[in-house]
Amino acid sequence: MAGELNINAVRVSFDEALTAAKSLQELDEIRVKFTGKKGDLTLLLRSLGKLPPEERKSAGQELNTLRDEIETRLEQTGKKIRDAENEKQEISQRIDVTLPVKGRTSGAFHPVMQTMHEIANIMQGLGYSVATGPEIEEEFYNFECLNVPAWHPARDMQDTFYFPDGRLLRTHTSPVQIRAMLEYGAPLRIICPGKVYRRDNDTTHSPMFNQMEGLLIDKDVPFSVMKGTLAEMVNAFFGKSLKSRFRASYFPFTEPSMELDIECVECSGHDEHCRVCHGTGWLEVAGMGMVHPNVIRAGKIDPDEFNGFAFGIGLDRMAMLKYGISDLRLLFDGNVSYFMSGFQGEAE
Amino acid sequence: MLISWELLKKFIDIEPIDLTPEELAERLTFSGSEVEGITYTAGKMKGIVAARIDALETHPSESKYSIAHLNTGTGENVCVTSATNMKKGDLVFYAGAGSILPDGTEMGTRDFHGVESFGMMLSAEELGLHDVDDPSGLLILPNDAMPGDDAKNLYHIGDVILDVSITPNRGDLLSLLGMAREIKGLYPKSTLKMPEWMRPLEQKEEWTEEFGKISLPDKGCYAYRLGLATNATMKQSPLTAKVDLAHLGMRPIINAVDVTNYIMLMLGQPLHAFDLNTLPEREITVRAAHNGEKMLTLDGKERVLTERDMLITSGGEAIALAGVMGGEQTGINDDTSTIVIESASFSPIRVGHTSRRLGINSEAAFRFARTVDPAMSKIALMAATTLMRDWCGAVVDYKPLSAENEIHEPTAITLTRKKLSTYLSWDNMTEAAKILEGFGIKNTGENKFVPPTWRPDITIEEDLIEEIGRFRGYNETEDKLPGELPRRADIGASMRLAGFVRNSLMARGYTEVVTYSFLPEDFPEKLRLPEDDECAKTFKIANPISRDQMAMRTTLLPGLLMGMRTSIVSGWRGPVKIFEQGKVFINNKEPEHAAGILFNGTDTRSPFANRSEDFYNIKADVEALIISRGYKPVFVSGHEPFTHAGQTANIFVDGVNVGFVARLKPAIEQELDVEGVYAFELDLTALANPKKPEFTPASSFPASFRDISLLVAVDKSNDDVMKDIRETVNEASGDELTLENLRLFDIYEGKGIPEGFRSLAYSLSYRSHTRTLKDEEVETVHNNVRESLKRKGYSIR
Repeated sequence: MAGELNINAVRVSFDEALTAAKSLQELDEIRVKFTGKKGDLTLLLRSLGKLPPEERKSAGQELNTLRDEIETRLEQTGKKIRDAENEKQEISQRIDVTLPVKGRTSGAFHPVMQTMHEIANIMQGLGYSVATGPEIEEEFYNFECLNVPAWHPARDMQDTFYFPDGRLLRTHTSPVQIRAMLEYGAPLRIICPGKVYRRDNDTTHSPMFNQMEGLLIDKDVPFSVMKGTLAEMVNAFFGKSLKSRFRASYFPFTEPSMELDIECVECSGHDEHCRVCHGTGWLEVAGMGMVHPNVIRAGKIDPDEFNGFAFGIGLDRMAMLKYGISDLRLLFDGNVSYFMSGFQGEAE
Repeated sequence: MLISWELLKKFIDIEPIDLTPEELAERLTFSGSEVEGITYTAGKMKGIVAARIDALETHPSESKYSIAHLNTGTGENVCVTSATNMKKGDLVFYAGAGSILPDGTEMGTRDFHGVESFGMMLSAEELGLHDVDDPSGLLILPNDAMPGDDAKNLYHIGDVILDVSITPNRGDLLSLLGMAREIKGLYPKSTLKMPEWMRPLEQKEEWTEEFGKISLPDKGCYAYRLGLATNATMKQSPLTAKVDLAHLGMRPIINAVDVTNYIMLMLGQPLHAFDLNTLPEREITVRAAHNGEKMLTLDGKERVLTERDMLITSGGEAIALAGVMGGEQTGINDDTSTIVIESASFSPIRVGHTSRRLGINSEAAFRFARTVDPAMSKIALMAATTLMRDWCGAVVDYKPLSAENEIHEPTAITLTRKKLSTYLSWDNMTEAAKILEGFGIKNTGENKFVPPTWRPDITIEEDLIEEIGRFRGYNETEDKLPGELPRRADIGASMRLAGFVRNSLMARGYTEVVTYSFLPEDFPEKLRLPEDDECAKTFKIANPISRDQMAMRTTLLPGLLMGMRTSIVSGWRGPVKIFEQGKVFINNKEPEHAAGILFNGTDTRSPFANRSEDFYNIKADVEALIISRGYKPVFVSGHEPFTHAGQTANIFVDGVNVGFVARLKPAIEQELDVEGVYAFELDLTALANPKKPEFTPASSFPASFRDISLLVAVDKSNDDVMKDIRETVNEASGDELTLENLRLFDIYEGKGIPEGFRSLAYSLSYRSHTRTLKDEEVETVHNNVRESLKRKGYSIR
């Protein structure tokens, strides 16, 4: 009887002591007071032998349970107190998380290169492979094969840089179309992205710019497929469904030829003073047409068996429209502050 | 090409009759001739009328002014002017108080030293008519106007001018007649008609002046005709004609010259007027020039000719470069009275060659190169003679002289329903024939069509389809996508590599730039490239825009350095980490390169201890790029003419030198006004195809770590020392024990280390793939390694 009372008294006094404990030191003192060599619990355990054998077993179990409980609770409380003390220290190590980053900030893409890769990916999805060719080109591939003989006034449309050996800087990526037809034959679906050059330098012309042309050669290709392809490409690139219209035009290498206007990406035709479309509501983005039989023939494909279409877009213009760039010349001067501004809003 | 609405109405009655210039512009634009602008020539003009000067007196106090009493049709007004070219009875244009000039200026009354002037009398310039008359005097009107007539309704002053962009294939549209024919095609119910001066003229008389033969030994001259006008008087052309010429962008000069220009604008046929008396001889020969033959053209330049150029000669002397430009000697002058009018037809190829080669883009050359209707030379000559009679008072009853070579006649083209339906998804052949007829293309039966002589651009079936397509418009056709893929689409090795490189470098903090492929001519000197260096031998553009864009780049570095300079000049003070990839042009090849620069910026202050990056940072970027392609780069102390002699590594991939990573030569840094620029440039050819990585499973047994510290001469590289350690371990250990990892963890120079040496400390990790290593055996091996390294001459610390 006496033993039982003692056990309860120990439990109660442990509870009280533990609740009051605020530091690891106090906790240590409690440990000693209850489970130390002369601790209350230890003394009770020692006194077990004095109990009659029939009580000894149950009292022993009860005491062991109490000991486990005391140890577990001491450990739990200890963890809590330690965490609280650590946290005080952590707060003393507080930093200003709004300080600038250390080391490197991220890089930035060039809008035209980004555009080139995006459109190439879109066109790959439509089944077009990328074809490439030299930038220093033979007159033969750049003009003659494309139905533009030397005397032809269409050459005035493309003022050309020449080298002393008679070669030239390609004025369009069309020579790649010829090279691809010669290499792969028909049917064929390719795009040719790359730099092209014309002897022209003012606010709206750069002597170097970027173009992507596409060519599809197959049997009985209708004009409607070219129309659908261009619409798909433009909508995918701008990420919305844009109205488009086709105007008849002229290129020596296509017949019939046309140009594509799209709904103004800035104002959709709702702003009379729109800085992008100047109030017309339309933007000219691509030239295209059904490939002229002479050009198909130059690619050593039989125009009686195959026909197709070709188109060309200005990648710089597409990038300028998508990213709201107003001056073409900013694109090629390597000014890091300009390109980073698109990503960081302001110079560092 | 400028088109006058007033003049257009002389060639066609458009149906619908209420068609506005704006509607016409839209239709033209969608059918292939883009209208770039519409100008109402009267501008804001309002209330300007013709008025007669009933009386004229000198200002009472200021004698430089005259006071005119005007009959304005509705009343009388007083007007003061400083002009002196008018007299009593003259008709002038009068802008009364409250009227508005074309430029928007509103007229009021003004006091001229006590005399009140109501509005003003106008010069041609003030009416918006540039070049039509002397701008310092009043425009004196012919007597066909009545006081009170609105200026807008007189002399085509209130015209509408369409600025049409004509594509190079449509030479036929470079005239009012051509545009009228096109409009007839687009609005088939319209009726074509002829202005009065195009009506046939009786010309039966023999020439009063003896004239020999016209010979055409050069077949490039299809036809050559001469008309004669005698007793002509040189003076100003009629006012309406001058206004028309001015509106169409040509300066009125003198009646005989104006006639030729006017006919060219109306009918598209370039003409030339000679003063008969200045011809060296009374004969004309059109022949090919001799190689090296020289000629003085109208613009005062001496031209050196080739045998592809064609000359009009008289008595062996060149008087004109055929179809391109006249000579200096034979033109019209103020005293001319006997005029020979030339109307000829030339090969577009020949004229195109000459005009392109000599860079002469005269109105005549522009038209001949785009093809002039060969049938027009006869009609235009007659029309011009008629106008010589009307404008110059000339006698023109003379039979024209002509010589002709073979002229190519248009041939029939077959239109098939299959092709029409394939291209346009539309196949109404009856409707198609009607559309073609509208454009003057004759249906000769069995779906055969013959284009008119003025449409040499139509030669194949696709051309016919284009006529039908542009008439119908392209917008109604549905959008479709092509059927099955011919083969798997491939973005291609070069595009894949490009995407990979840019992603890698952007992720490492570099900003992508694109710079010009051409560089200043002297870039190799600035880079200290020796003359025999491959990169110093540049292709140079023969016709550059400027010397700064003349030499094709052989390296991407200068473009990046220029970008860095631009950034700094524009006020950027932070780090410049930019890269570019693109072609360079070396030795007739166009390898794809990637290059980057790393510059810490002009302001490197930072809240943190050290923000500056150096050689080892940029080396890490290059290494990461190459390693992620699956290749192991080897960096070897190297040399480039433009890099720091002590901080340059050449990069080897599979034994091939693919580029460099280095600090820029300090002398070049100084020239760029910067310090500490690091750069790399790689030829990407070797990285074009990614190498498949090989994976080794990790050992499940623990590793043992040992350190070793070696005294090494400073000129011995870390790579060499590591190689020695690896070799030594391989000799000292058996098959089971391998050196899994070797890592440099400390470099020490200074106190306790002899001069010329440094201490390099490495951590070695030994491991077996088959069992746990015993401490003793690792110790034994490591001791052997130490001993062996000593034998190789290293001292161990």
